[in-house]
Amino acid sequence: MTALIELDGITKVLKGQEQPRTILDGVGLTVNAGQSVAIVGRSGSGKSTLLSVIGLFDRPDSGSYRLDGQEIAKLPERRAAKLRSSHFGFVFQRFFLLKHLTAAQNVAMALVNGQGWLPRRQRRSLVMEALDQVGIAHLAKSRPAKMSGGEQQRVAIARALVRDPKILLADEPTGALDIETGTLVIDALLAATERGCGLILVTHDRDHAARMGQIHDLVDGVLTERVTVR
Amino acid sequence: MRRLSGRFRSSLIIGIQGIRARKLRTLLSMVSLFLGVLAVVVVQAGASIAERALLADLEIQQGYDGTRVMDMPMQQNATEVLTATVRGREDAVAMLGVSGIVGEPGVLPVNPGGAPLDQDWGPAMVCNDQGCEPAPGVKGQAVEVRLTALSGDVRKFRPYRTVSGQWLDFTRMPSMSPKLVLNQPAADAFEQYRVPAEMRVGGAAANVTPQFVGVVDDGDMQPRAYVRLDELTTWLPPSRMSDPNTGGEMRLLMTQGSPVEPVVSAKLKALGVEPYVQTIETRKEQEKQLTLMRLVFFSMAGLVLLIGVAGILNVGLATVGERVEEFALRRAVGTPRTLLAGIVLAETLLTGLLTAAAAIGASAAALKVVTMLVGDSQPILRDVQFPWEAGVAGIIAGIVAGVLGGFVPALRAAGIPIATVMRA
Ligand SMILES: Nc1ncnc2c1ncn2[C@@H]1O[C@H](COP(=O)(O)OP(=O)(O)O)[C@@H](O)[C@H]1O
Ligand SMILES: [Mg+2]
Repeated sequence: MTALIELDGITKVLKGQEQPRTILDGVGLTVNAGQSVAIVGRSGSGKSTLLSVIGLFDRPDSGSYRLDGQEIAKLPERRAAKLRSSHFGFVFQRFFLLKHLTAAQNVAMALVNGQGWLPRRQRRSLVMEALDQVGIAHLAKSRPAKMSGGEQQRVAIARALVRDPKILLADEPTGALDIETGTLVIDALLAATERGCGLILVTHDRDHAARMGQIHDLVDGVLTERVTVR
Repeated sequence: MRRLSGRFRSSLIIGIQGIRARKLRTLLSMVSLFLGVLAVVVVQAGASIAERALLADLEIQQGYDGTRVMDMPMQQNATEVLTATVRGREDAVAMLGVSGIVGEPGVLPVNPGGAPLDQDWGPAMVCNDQGCEPAPGVKGQAVEVRLTALSGDVRKFRPYRTVSGQWLDFTRMPSMSPKLVLNQPAADAFEQYRVPAEMRVGGAAANVTPQFVGVVDDGDMQPRAYVRLDELTTWLPPSRMSDPNTGGEMRLLMTQGSPVEPVVSAKLKALGVEPYVQTIETRKEQEKQLTLMRLVFFSMAGLVLLIGVAGILNVGLATVGERVEEFALRRAVGTPRTLLAGIVLAETLLTGLLTAAAAIGASAAALKVVTMLVGDSQPILRDVQFPWEAGVAGIIAGIVAGVLGGFVPALRAAGIPIATVMRA
């Protein structure tokens, strides 16, 4: 079976300053469907950069990136946008909800993006399903300003789930939340893996990392799997 | 095709969401643009109204474009030739002008020479072989009109507007007492002087009692009365119309290429009469003059519009700056860059169109008010409709402003990098 994500020798160099800095240095990583992976590391170690390469926000300078067995390390932007829509769901530390939209509209945003078109009724049922999955269907008509941090982050997760992604990328999703709500958010993410979705979680929280299937350490751009002794 | 319509719908939905989320911004953009669009609408409305009014008057006074007009001096034989040639023809109408005095018998008219009532063209004259001298007698309750005899329905060539009553009916049998249609100055004069209706025409066999059947607007200042040529000739034979004291112009209106023209020309030349022929081209000439005027006004309006565009541009750039996160997020969920640009353009376009609607509504309302207030004293403003060209110009101005003002912000929005913005 082909892996969902297969990184091999991924390098990202930051140019522009006096001397180029290597942010990612030969990173290799394999994630299969339904697998969950934690990436931990100090601030500035390159975790977000790695996620933005995996999520096709950015392209690696060298190395190979296979998604569903297809090499996409040098994908042009037009096709990358399509893949972001069809394969990925994103959750960030800051929730990035649009203030002027309701929870339901914020979720629908991922559907109304020009990548195909769904009739309104179908859109609505997908949105409600996604909100229901994270347990906040009752907040569909509320705006972000009226919601708690945990609720907002769950709206963001619903937005990530609404297109039924193959892989979820979460960059410190609990960083702005207290322990209890943070746990709820991780619950919601793990629930998605049970439906066959892959999950890559960047986190500082040991407990959250420990709930993932694998833990990888990123140190100065070098990724190594931590062999856990349970 | 389906993908395109999906993108179109998406940008429209998101654009409307954006406008609703930033109502004040939108309003400010509209305010900055309003004057510019309004200027364009007003200039176009003014040009269209003026053009229509001028052209309508010119067409009434001179004829539709392409009409051939032949003028010739009134001369005994010429009159007969002319009336005989055009009798029963559809493609040519002869107009013979003679003087007619309507009113109290035996007095001089209040307007000698058929002058407009508010003008003095000097005293009435009688002429004979020895020369001319002032006519004897005193002015009384009588009005002199230009009595214009028509061989057919001249409205094929000149669109006289019926003001009241009817126009001459050329289809029925000629009547024994002539039916007259007055123009507005003549109708006003009769209104003012309440003259007994007896008509004297120099050279006529007898005085007759005319019937006034209607009033038309013919664009002329001089009092005029129109009559069927065949009705006039029952008591004023064509051979007697050339009396120097009464006679005047003789004119032939024809369609282009009418066979009447060469025949009449040849016959008149044989009589030693040199006719003068021209083609009416009022619309063409008018257009030339109006084009220059319009150019001047439109450049000024365009300048005002440009200032409005700068306003939209300013607001648009500021908005994109504020929405960096939104746009990065949209790109993250798979919105293509072209669609992002489309969203920004949709917002400015909608703003431009809203402004156009407001400006068109405002000027249509203003026109209505103006026509209601001064329409009675200014005939040019009487029942003018808001010209559709002005509406079209406004919409075009709105679209142009929206595109110009949204273009740069749209490019900015499309260029926002995701990775830098979304980094935690
Ligand atoms: N666009 C950028 N401009 C400047 N420095 C950057 C940029 N992107 C990443 N970096 C640098 O790269 C390093 C890794 O950043 P990041 O991936 O955000 O780390 P982490 O998410 O692990 O904290 C940091 O030192 C950061 O300063
Ligand atoms: Mg980070």
